Amino acid sequence: MKVEDTELLKEFTPEQVEKLNSIIEKHKGKAGALIPVLEEAQVCLEYLPLTVQKKIAAGLNLPLSRVYGVVTFYSFFTMTPRGKHTIRVCLGTACYVRGGKVLTETLEKQFGIKEGETTADRLFTLESVRCLGACGLGPVIVIDEDVHGRVKPGKIKEILTQYN
Amino acid sequence: MKVFRSHLLLCGGTGCQASGSLGVKNAILEEIVKRKLADEIKVVETGCNGFCALGPILVIYPEGVIYINLKPADIPELVEEHLVKGRIVEKLLYREPGTDKIIPTMQDIPFFAHQELRALKNRGLIDPEKIEEYIARDGYAGMAKALTEMTPDQIVQEMLDSGLRGRGGAGFPTGLKWKFAAQSPSDVKYVLCNADEGDPGAFMDRSILEADPHSVLEGMVIAAKAIGSGHGYIYCRAEYPLAIHRLNVAIDQAKEAGLLGKDILGTGFNFDLEIYQGAGAFVCGEETALMTSIEGKRGMPRPRPPFPAVAGLWQKPSILNNVETLANVGQIILRGANWYSSVGTEKSKGTKVFALTGDVNNVGLVEVPMGTKLGTIVYDIGGGIPKGKKFKAAQLGGPSGGMIPVQHLNAPVDYEKVMELGAIMGSGGLIVMNEDKCAVDMARFFMDFCQDESCGKCTPCREGTKRMLDILTDITKGKGKAGDIELLEDMASVIKNSALCGLGQTAPNPVLSTLRYFRKEYEEHIFEHRCRATVCHAMYKSPCQHTCPIEMDIPSYIALIREGRFEDAYKILLQTNPFPSVCGRVCDHKCQSKCRRGNMDEPLAIKFLKRFITDNAPRPRTEPVPVTRKEKIAVIGAGPAGLTAARDLALRGYKVTVFEELNKAGGMLYWGIPSYRLPRNILDGEIDDIRALGVEIKLNTRIGKDITFAKLEKEFDYIYLATGAHKSQKMGVKGEDLKNVYGGVEFLRDFNNNEDEWLKGEKTLGKKVAVIGGGNSAIDAARVALRLASEVTILYRRLRADMPAAEEEIKAAEDEGIKIEYLVAPLKIDGTKGKVSSITCQRMTLGDFDNSGRKKPVVVAGSEFQLSVDAIIAAIGQVPDMSFMDKKIGVEINKWDCYNVGKGYKSRTTNPRYFAGGDAETGPDTVIAAIGAGHQAADDIDAAIRVANGEPAYVKPTLEDIFVPLVIDEDSEEVPQMLMPELHHDTRKMSFAEVELGFGREDAIKEACRCLRCDAAV
Amino acid sequence: MAKLTIDDLKKIKEKVHKEMSLRDGDRRVKVTVHMGTCGIASGAKEVMDTLLEEIEAAKVHDVVVTTSGCMGLCSREPLVTVEVLNQEPIKYEYVNPNKIRQIFKRHVLSGEVQTPFVLAKGTEIIK
Repeated sequence: MKVEDTELLKEFTPEQVEKLNSIIEKHKGKAGALIPVLEEAQVCLEYLPLTVQKKIAAGLNLPLSRVYGVVTFYSFFTMTPRGKHTIRVCLGTACYVRGGKVLTETLEKQFGIKEGETTADRLFTLESVRCLGACGLGPVIVIDEDVHGRVKPGKIKEILTQYN
Repeated sequence: MKVFRSHLLLCGGTGCQASGSLGVKNAILEEIVKRKLADEIKVVETGCNGFCALGPILVIYPEGVIYINLKPADIPELVEEHLVKGRIVEKLLYREPGTDKIIPTMQDIPFFAHQELRALKNRGLIDPEKIEEYIARDGYAGMAKALTEMTPDQIVQEMLDSGLRGRGGAGFPTGLKWKFAAQSPSDVKYVLCNADEGDPGAFMDRSILEADPHSVLEGMVIAAKAIGSGHGYIYCRAEYPLAIHRLNVAIDQAKEAGLLGKDILGTGFNFDLEIYQGAGAFVCGEETALMTSIEGKRGMPRPRPPFPAVAGLWQKPSILNNVETLANVGQIILRGANWYSSVGTEKSKGTKVFALTGDVNNVGLVEVPMGTKLGTIVYDIGGGIPKGKKFKAAQLGGPSGGMIPVQHLNAPVDYEKVMELGAIMGSGGLIVMNEDKCAVDMARFFMDFCQDESCGKCTPCREGTKRMLDILTDITKGKGKAGDIELLEDMASVIKNSALCGLGQTAPNPVLSTLRYFRKEYEEHIFEHRCRATVCHAMYKSPCQHTCPIEMDIPSYIALIREGRFEDAYKILLQTNPFPSVCGRVCDHKCQSKCRRGNMDEPLAIKFLKRFITDNAPRPRTEPVPVTRKEKIAVIGAGPAGLTAARDLALRGYKVTVFEELNKAGGMLYWGIPSYRLPRNILDGEIDDIRALGVEIKLNTRIGKDITFAKLEKEFDYIYLATGAHKSQKMGVKGEDLKNVYGGVEFLRDFNNNEDEWLKGEKTLGKKVAVIGGGNSAIDAARVALRLASEVTILYRRLRADMPAAEEEIKAAEDEGIKIEYLVAPLKIDGTKGKVSSITCQRMTLGDFDNSGRKKPVVVAGSEFQLSVDAIIAAIGQVPDMSFMDKKIGVEINKWDCYNVGKGYKSRTTNPRYFAGGDAETGPDTVIAAIGAGHQAADDIDAAIRVANGEPAYVKPTLEDIFVPLVIDEDSEEVPQMLMPELHHDTRKMSFAEVELGFGREDAIKEACRCLRCDAAV
Repeated sequence: MAKLTIDDLKKIKEKVHKEMSLRDGDRRVKVTVHMGTCGIASGAKEVMDTLLEEIEAAKVHDVVVTTSGCMGLCSREPLVTVEVLNQEPIKYEYVNPNKIRQIFKRHVLSGEVQTPFVLAKGTEIIK
């Protein structure tokens, strides 16, 4: 255990490692606990590199391949660090029909990154999301927890200045 | 004490300050000092008076006048007018919310009136975080009844009798699912709620979970009792944090109140549940994948059998029900199966919640009885398509579903009918698409989604969707090839039959559906490199040019206007269009409907700019072209199609003779369109240019009478039939043959032939004229009639939005004082002494939809009324006049009296020496379409000649290279389209002077600067 | 809340209904700010905050503020329902902080319905 923790401390703070330990403890022994553990771990650590996966595998008595398989299957989990802010452009049908594609292209051009990538200064990660259920306000982008509706390409600059 | 003659009370409350009242205050003080009024006028800043949304607000005493929405720029005028001159400034005034403005009730609003709420019965009425409010509206009463008065068998029977089918998409009878699980022997069973709602465009479940979470809990407890379960899960997608939060609060409150958990309501029944969060995988909405996910594994589906009701979560019998399904359960138990099945269709009982989104005015959640017509949902509830665009299709069922196009607006929406039409009910996402959406691109979009979300377990889905996506992407990028469509259909059938789960099995549906209804679009993409919706931008340079039937280089000539190089711009026009001056006045400008600027503020005034060029630059000289070829070509009809073909062929060195029956050339351009829209000299100038090439136009010559077909065939090698459509359709009412009852086109022709007599009053329509019809001909006839000093009323049998006439024409007619009566149709015409004296009409109401997506007018019995009239003009449509044709020449004419083009040909008829085009072949259409037809015919005739001679194909001469600079503005402000100055309607209806006056140079350049240069390539 | 029996369910229903119609000093006006995700995304939270600020500033105690989930007509969010005792509920559309200030001062306090902002009056009928 201690050895793994040293590995983790290279990337994460002691508080984060503590929290991870407590998350594993809380769910240990419950059937189907892997996904809730990964979800809470990601909220705490922001990403799930192999070192973290190894730790969780050991803690829940699961093969590493199982943990890796789940992390790579679900789009919510990421193995690489993300930007401080995540910009999610909704590409659900209703938003697509109302101009969602143009928004993605505009953002890609503006930041010089493609969908799924993070800016060099680690400030923004650009993602697309399938549907946020706010179809009445299409096209929609979500920055962190804030939902912005009826977004026109011209207004993006304005919206982004709120986040730094 | 100082006495002021006027007090200015300016609101200084927070709201007004936020709206800029300080700036206004300073402006007022400044202005008062400037005008030396400080001793007479006192400015007082008051507290808030409550009109916050209308601020900044100023009240001026002693008059008590209230000015609203003030800006500093308004102040100088306000001070000058009101304080100095004592005149109230109307435009800044507050208007009392009129007593004549009635507040509608919820039932007056179609969006709400057509809905019948069951699953959504608590919406907007309860605080979801207060369990008492749920209980107060019969909450948990159903559960109480199930737990205390019913056996599990009875509960299952009630569900079977209700006819409730799974609302998640598959539509499996809920009662039957519960029955199977109830019958499976096990001490541990699970009740699962599918709150994953992954369909893009669907948010019904989210709404229920956020607004009424207890309804789901109640449903689950009842289900648990029915099948004998003690534990459940709600699998909720992580993208719904508010729903998860409200569910958690609801679960806690329900447990606290003893409505969940151990010993529910003191009955001894135990049922506990927890929430399991999804992690962003669409496939986990699938039954077995969802269960696998709860087990903490990759969400991959499992083969069935065994079915979940026998071996589900952790191999125990489980039922998985959708949120909306569960929300109905409590009420079904409380009010009974008969109540539930009292609405709906034979096989689909109850109501369905739809998420109505996309290109529709009222976006929101709609709950209607099964069997409600699609058109009712889109038009009555949804309020129709915004911005006057046309409905193309409704996507039902998300990425597993299909499109339902305009011809099926009358379809009752239920499980069976929707499947019959090639879609699926799905979870209820109903996405409305207008004419600007590309069917191929939408199919690609959905396939992309399925490909992305495919779990990868089975080959048909993993590989199949990828390959189908590749083919679709290629087609949208202009790389489609022959055989692609057949390959897509083949693969679709294989994937549907062999994929492991619903995702794969339904992924090909959007492709199959779009192929079924929009196959032509696929073919246009592949074979003609055309995307009619101008979405697939690999197919075109700019949407305007692509939409133009003759592909005029619009961005170039607009850019040249911006540069002030009008002569060069004129050259660009003539490269494709022999009638730019005409089109600049009468074209129906479909290019403008696709102008991207229209997405920002308003489209460019492309038509007006084209006219500006021809009005302000000298027309490049036309030199006669020497005849270098021996073949001779005859064109019948000197309309735009015929003249364009003649011009093109003359340019290639042919000797062309045009035969025209009437005494002036131009076709409908002269004989149909009035001179106040298209001045005679403008038209003559462009026709003379064609003569100048060497084309001979023989007027007053009717084929079959003044020259026989035999003679024609002897003298000419090829003949182009461009005889137009200028015979008015009959209304089919009694009295149509009375004097002073005209056909629209016939009236206009008579007027043009005898203009002097009409203007002098020797020929007259009388005082009151009724015009029947709603197309451009009807408007033209009406506005001409008005200039002959008559009172004119247009009678149209549908609504204004249905009129085929151009919006600007209708508006011009209304401005000139022409009355338009809608939903009116003629019944019979009466006369005295052989001349018309009155027309009897019936009022119409709107019934079902027809194939064009417009509601059919239906007679209202007993609604006859009479209008006394002196003349009637029936302009309900035109057909070609084929009376001159000789059947012996073997040119096929179809049942609509139009020429038939031979199969596989664009303009060649069934007789290889005869070609046909324009209105005579298509039926009445636009000027620009006729010009396009003329171009096509010239190409085809020339090609036929060359092939017959064994010559190589025609090579178009290189066009003059005109440099067009690329100037693009970095930032664009919203600016409306430049308005066309017009003659005032009171003066203009006294004459036939041209109504539209044309842009000035400054305005034209300003408008040209709005162009976004969509043709720019980086 | 203590564990309920079936009788308790009925009693709660009656109690809540009575509260809704009883004219006591405690509740003269009920204002519902509809707050589903779409409402919040269009600014319902700011509307709610402004409303609460105004109530505090006006120091009134007979106005009850509550929320609900989505009301159905998402394209006109934020939506607010104002129900004055013994009068038909009025639904406002496209509400923003400025409008809610005006609605509060003129409708809630002075009883004057702000017609230009109204969507409709009454409620949906549940059959």
